[in-house]
Amino acid sequence: MAFQSRRKFCYFKENSIKEVDYKDVKLLRRFVNDQGKIMPRRVTGTSSKMHRKLVRAIKQARNIALMPYTNISTES
Amino acid sequence: MRYYESLYIVNPNFEQDRLDEVMKTVTDKMGEYGFSIINHRLWGKKRLAYAIQKHKYGSFILLHFETETVENLNQFQRFMILEKPILRNQTVVLDTRPEVQKEDEIVDESKEAVASSDSGSEKLEEQKPEEETKEVVAEESGETGDEVVKEEASIEKESVEEEISETVEEKVEETVEVEEKEEVQE
Repeated sequence: MAFQSRRKFCYFKENSIKEVDYKDVKLLRRFVNDQGKIMPRRVTGTSSKMHRKLVRAIKQARNIALMPYTNISTES
Repeated sequence: MRYYESLYIVNPNFEQDRLDEVMKTVTDKMGEYGFSIINHRLWGKKRLAYAIQKHKYGSFILLHFETETVENLNQFQRFMILEKPILRNQTVVLDTRPEVQKEDEIVDESKEAVASSDSGSEKLEEQKPEEETKEVVAEESGETGDEVVKEEASIEKESVEEEISETVEEKVEETVEVEEKEEVQE
């Protein structure tokens, strides 16, 4: 059976975004799962350079309570 | 010249007057430390991702400033931590000089922020499903043919497995019966 592989692409390169802002929660939410964990590069297809910036932005957003460290407590 | 962005969360129960007071104390302290302020405005009242000092909401205030020396930054950080109405603060280095926002824009934005904070959660909930559905549609359109084939194959597999398991169970029952009979005979 032939599997058609989905094309992976860097979201930031595609949309020509050069810097990731930690205040842009709507963008950052694309790159975490329901639990609030940062998704790996092999899943999102983000380039290594932008992934480093992304990870930093997500961690900054977590520190200032714009994003959750974990979603377990808020669900209950 | 170095540029910094500081975002701090103030107690959500504070009304505009007390918020202005807090902002004024911060502004005074910045002058004392020799930092020059570029922007200092209310970003809006938002829901916190996790509770801080048992507060679920917080008033976010955004502060852009520039300085030539980094000497007083530690003291500034310490002042922000010790200040009681400030729940949390974070200072980030900027590469370029932030744009100065005009008074009119600030007023408009703060109004919008208040409006959005009232119905912010609803809006987010409304937007999210749309995005998800879009993605789902995109995925489906990409690989409809294959998926159908896969589903059919999986159904066939399941039915075959069920048949096998049934026959195995029957055999097991038969053998058990045979063994029991043998025991009785003995």
